[in-house]
Amino acid sequence: MISVGVDAGSRAIKIVLLDTQSREVVASGVVAQGVHSNDLANDLLRDLLERSGLGVGDITRTVATGYARNMIDFADTTVTEITCHARGVHNVAPEAATIVEIGGQDSKLLRLGSNGSVRDFSMNDRCAAGTGRFLEVVADRLSVPLDQLGPMAARSQNPASISSTCIVFAETEIIGLLATGISADDIVAGVQNSIAIRIAAMAGRGVAAPVVFTGGVAIVPGMDRALESALGQSISIAPNPQMTGALGAAIIAADKNYNK
Amino acid sequence: MNEPRIISFDEWDSHYIQLRDAGMMEPSYGGPLRRHVDDGGDTRLLRLRYDNSAASLRLWNFLLTEEDRLRAARAEGKKLVGTMKDLGTVPVMAYSLPNLVAFYPDGAWWIPCVMEMNAGLLSIASSLGIDETFCPVRAMIGAFVTQAHFPLPDLLTCSVGATCDDFSAIAQRLEGLDHPILWWEIPSRRHPDTNEASIILPGGFSAPVSQVEFVKSELERIRISISNLAGMPLDDKTLARGIRAANRVRRILSELRILVFTAEICPMPALEMQIAEMLAIHYCSDREEAEIVLCELLTEVRARVSEGVGVLSAEAVRVFWVNPVADLRTMNLLEDCGGRICGTEYLFAHALDEIREDLPPMEALARIALADPMVGSANDRAQRIIEDACAFGAEAVIISRIPGASHCATEGEVIADLVRSELGLPVVEIEVPPITDAMIPTLRTRIEALIETAIRRNE
Repeated sequence: MISVGVDAGSRAIKIVLLDTQSREVVASGVVAQGVHSNDLANDLLRDLLERSGLGVGDITRTVATGYARNMIDFADTTVTEITCHARGVHNVAPEAATIVEIGGQDSKLLRLGSNGSVRDFSMNDRCAAGTGRFLEVVADRLSVPLDQLGPMAARSQNPASISSTCIVFAETEIIGLLATGISADDIVAGVQNSIAIRIAAMAGRGVAAPVVFTGGVAIVPGMDRALESALGQSISIAPNPQMTGALGAAIIAADKNYNK
Repeated sequence: MNEPRIISFDEWDSHYIQLRDAGMMEPSYGGPLRRHVDDGGDTRLLRLRYDNSAASLRLWNFLLTEEDRLRAARAEGKKLVGTMKDLGTVPVMAYSLPNLVAFYPDGAWWIPCVMEMNAGLLSIASSLGIDETFCPVRAMIGAFVTQAHFPLPDLLTCSVGATCDDFSAIAQRLEGLDHPILWWEIPSRRHPDTNEASIILPGGFSAPVSQVEFVKSELERIRISISNLAGMPLDDKTLARGIRAANRVRRILSELRILVFTAEICPMPALEMQIAEMLAIHYCSDREEAEIVLCELLTEVRARVSEGVGVLSAEAVRVFWVNPVADLRTMNLLEDCGGRICGTEYLFAHALDEIREDLPPMEALARIALADPMVGSANDRAQRIIEDACAFGAEAVIISRIPGASHCATEGEVIADLVRSELGLPVVEIEVPPITDAMIPTLRTRIEALIETAIRRNE
């Protein structure tokens, strides 16, 4: 029997199938988010089940998380992404005391207790400047694919200073920087630093180590270094960071004692 | 007793008939909630959920008929005093005299929410240069322009100094529109220097005697203007009587808050409690009726607590709420997410404290004015929040920011840090504009996450 975790995020839907007994991941997949979240999630689930030689009857319980969690009609219950990321990261990095999660639409900083439960959390508020959306905007403005941002930032010798705290104004700022001859590499590195600085501001007075970085933006090369610099301490990237929310949801689905 | 429940607007239609048929006594401003949608255009009421008691219906009807009361008072020849920014001091003075009615023009900040922007007040404010970078209280300017929500007051007072910068700008713009304002200054409350004569204020804050004396002198100017307006002196004896009446309201609210916040099963929803608490500062333009409305609510709550019944499950997480919300729907959302209200600090904690009756009345009023949480440091405010959250047994804290409000820009972080370090409670900051519909998913995530965190911590 399997437990299913669905992370219906703002930019992508992620699903993890977990063996309910052994707690081993049976299959996982990602699909871009769209207008019909439920249909997209359904299609992805069917595909994963088929590839794993399983059927709907093998599912014991499904937990949905993420921005569009309430649109997933085949979920038995919903749990917020804060709780799910904590559970997922604790599973793959039990030593984590702090989690930084940067997704497409928001970013979060979670402080964990010794058992991996959330002690407290902070989230950015109505602003895309500390999120993956900022990277998408800069990639679009520079006409480069998202996966090139990491190598570009790595080549930067002198990261640009992006002073704006709003991506709408930052976009204008980027145009200005390009016009004054600043290289695209330095601009990308500057944007990564800008995101990291906003996360550090959200962290407030102190961040307990070890810090684990997760969420879709963690797969962008260079973001971990920018965060280390802003937080003033080393961080590690969670294995398969885009999937930790869905993994946590699947673990919660497998946990019979979890009551919402 | 009616079985306590939280019901929808539509359910209120049939429930109203049942209550009426069962002999519910209604005041002159009574009637079904729906009339405020049909007659007043308060369409937001359709989206809210309500406590089902007759006492709560009376509270809503009282709130939503304030304009009628103000117009009736004017027709009776009473003088109207608009008390801006001041949260609970000048109304005590005005209501001490029989021919004055005070109201709170800032209360117009809820009109865009209740009428779902249909009144156009924010657009008018924007057209006058007071745009969305200011607090939603800017709706007040629109209300002065349209005169559709309250009659123009005969006297307009506004405290200034250690209050919100954005509010001062809004009031200044209003004065520029030919609405003369009697300004009075409230200084930034500071801790006394070593060896400086000091006083302990209500709420436990300390302040230099010189600051209390200054506020007293400012309030003396208000006293003269109010006396002139009323055509009779506001002497100490009359004012002392007014203070005793104000304290009656404050005592009722105090008991109501303690009962609701500490009961094992929550006896009254967060939304109705927010409306009730607001009566402490403005009485909805009728102090005596406000006392009756609150007494009825208290009677209902006492009965519910004594029978061990309420509107939410006993497992609801106890949440302390900081700052009032511009969109009332947010208070419903707290309960949707599994929370219950357990302590509040809506920026007027001082207006819930009793005014000392053993002091000369102007001295007592000056002390209560200076105890305003908004005129001291964020640290002072946080300390009071911590004490109250602890006393009421809060398990989590929500700090709701008011967009554009200058006092909210930085104090949230100070309060959150102190709550975390001193109480170890989870805290979340949210921002609540007048209409949250597009933001409900993100607000829900934050509040649900807070509730989940509190539950897991208790395991």
